[in-house]
Amino acid sequence: MKELNDLHLPDDIRYTDDHEWAQKTGDTIKIGISDYAQDQLGDIVYVELPQIGSGFDQKQQCGTIESVKAVSEMYMPIGGEVIAINPDLEGAPELLNKDPYGRGWMFEVKPAGVSEYEQLMDKKAYLEMLKGL
Amino acid sequence: MHKTLKRTLLYDWHVKHGANMAPFGEYEMPLWYPAGAREEHLSVITRAGLFDTSHMAVIAAAGAGTRDLLQLCFSKDLQCCTGKEKAPLTPGKCVYGVFLNQKGEVLDDAILYQCAVDQYMIVVNSGKGQEILYYLETHKNGRKTELTDLSGQIGKLDVQGPLSAKILNKIINRPDQVFANMRYFSFKGYFDEASELADQVRLLDRTPLLLSRTGYTGEFGFEIFVRPEHFKKVWELIIESSKDMGLIPCGLAARDSLRTGAMLPLSHQDIGPWLFLNHPWPFALPYNEKYGFSKKFIGSEALEKQTNHADHTYAFAGFDLRKITICYESAVIDQDGKCMGQVLTCVTDMAIGRHEDRVFCISSPDKPPGFKPAGLSCGYVKVDRPLDIGRIIRIKDKRREIPVMIVDNIRPDRTARIDIQKMLF
Repeated sequence: MKELNDLHLPDDIRYTDDHEWAQKTGDTIKIGISDYAQDQLGDIVYVELPQIGSGFDQKQQCGTIESVKAVSEMYMPIGGEVIAINPDLEGAPELLNKDPYGRGWMFEVKPAGVSEYEQLMDKKAYLEMLKGL
Repeated sequence: MHKTLKRTLLYDWHVKHGANMAPFGEYEMPLWYPAGAREEHLSVITRAGLFDTSHMAVIAAAGAGTRDLLQLCFSKDLQCCTGKEKAPLTPGKCVYGVFLNQKGEVLDDAILYQCAVDQYMIVVNSGKGQEILYYLETHKNGRKTELTDLSGQIGKLDVQGPLSAKILNKIINRPDQVFANMRYFSFKGYFDEASELADQVRLLDRTPLLLSRTGYTGEFGFEIFVRPEHFKKVWELIIESSKDMGLIPCGLAARDSLRTGAMLPLSHQDIGPWLFLNHPWPFALPYNEKYGFSKKFIGSEALEKQTNHADHTYAFAGFDLRKITICYESAVIDQDGKCMGQVLTCVTDMAIGRHEDRVFCISSPDKPPGFKPAGLSCGYVKVDRPLDIGRIIRIKDKRREIPVMIVDNIRPDRTARIDIQKMLF
């Protein structure tokens, strides 16, 4: 298990208390799971992603992540419409373990509004939350 | 109330080497190391893996009345239980069986080792040492037997996988003698220097071991028992001397997926406080084809009477790697959507996959060219009716419902029983 100091937590993205991350680029937001989440789940063997075009509210379940340990729900960090999914995850779900912020991104959303993203935790707040776990 | 978990002697080693630790029974144990459970599972099937299993409980039983007590309490008939010829249990052999209560329900499963004429060793599950010891004490009735709980006084580690013998070959003294005639479910040596058996198996530095050709993975390998003061040294020696052979430390997640694929039950999950009948493990009972059981033992009467009232436990294999999670909502459902039983275990064996109508393992000699399985979900269900092998049933949890097939074998081409001499070449 990674020590908190060993976790890779990029500065330029936001985090949720369910250990997803969200990264704003232009008008859209990319979503995935944090280094902490992938470390806790262990080897990820299967990912169920939402369909392109489907809409979700914030915190609504939008997919599942299956690891050797368990099947876990994935929740929407912000409300919006799914406009792209990572096609590589079907054949290589282990990308979530290997590169959670890069090639292991999960899907991209066109947000319903801006405020939900702004209210997500920054790195400092997320790290504080992890210290309390 | 917060309960303090026990730690094995290797706890610091596990943490230092990045293990993901989790509570298991009374112990805090490694779930997996940085290689990950999938790689650990595959490593045991293709190369070798090393498991810290010193959470298991061990009872020593010695004295002239011991065999008689075990005949009363243990499910195997010690007069006809080893090999195809059903020979008696003799020193150097071990057998798998269960302890039942009078109702025919499982208290725990165990491997019983006969060390000498009136000397036995019983390995039961983590935290079950005291309970089984008390159970045996209760049924002594004047039989001359001294029972000792050795839990915590022994370190236990398992080397599992096809390269296990080659690895031990490098670190034990006179390996040719040790490996001679070492059949599946036989053992040599003893962990206590004072024992006459200690000279049978020693490391090159003279550390005595009990080396048993058994395991909980279905693959070729050994369980090793050693005194606690030598435990870490033996663990590190095996890791160090096997680097060129690809052995890696393995955690409980890989142990669980390996044992499930190998058709081995987990006590108190696949077998437990219900009638020990109609399941894939009849070899744990002293069946005599003509007369029912070849001996009477605690629980046998209940099993003989209740045959028609017991649930049926079956192994299953899925069609892809997706599994269900055992939870309040998980169930086996019939064609009308009604519950017909419960899912006992559901994991993914990551070394197997389907090709046309067959399941192959990555170690199958006749696997199709380019076979790269993603794994299959598999496990055990307990249902209220008999089902035919090959029948497709559905299992569900709160999230999904998946079809699975009732099977009589899960992971094919397992290596546990292969002749040891073939594994040394």
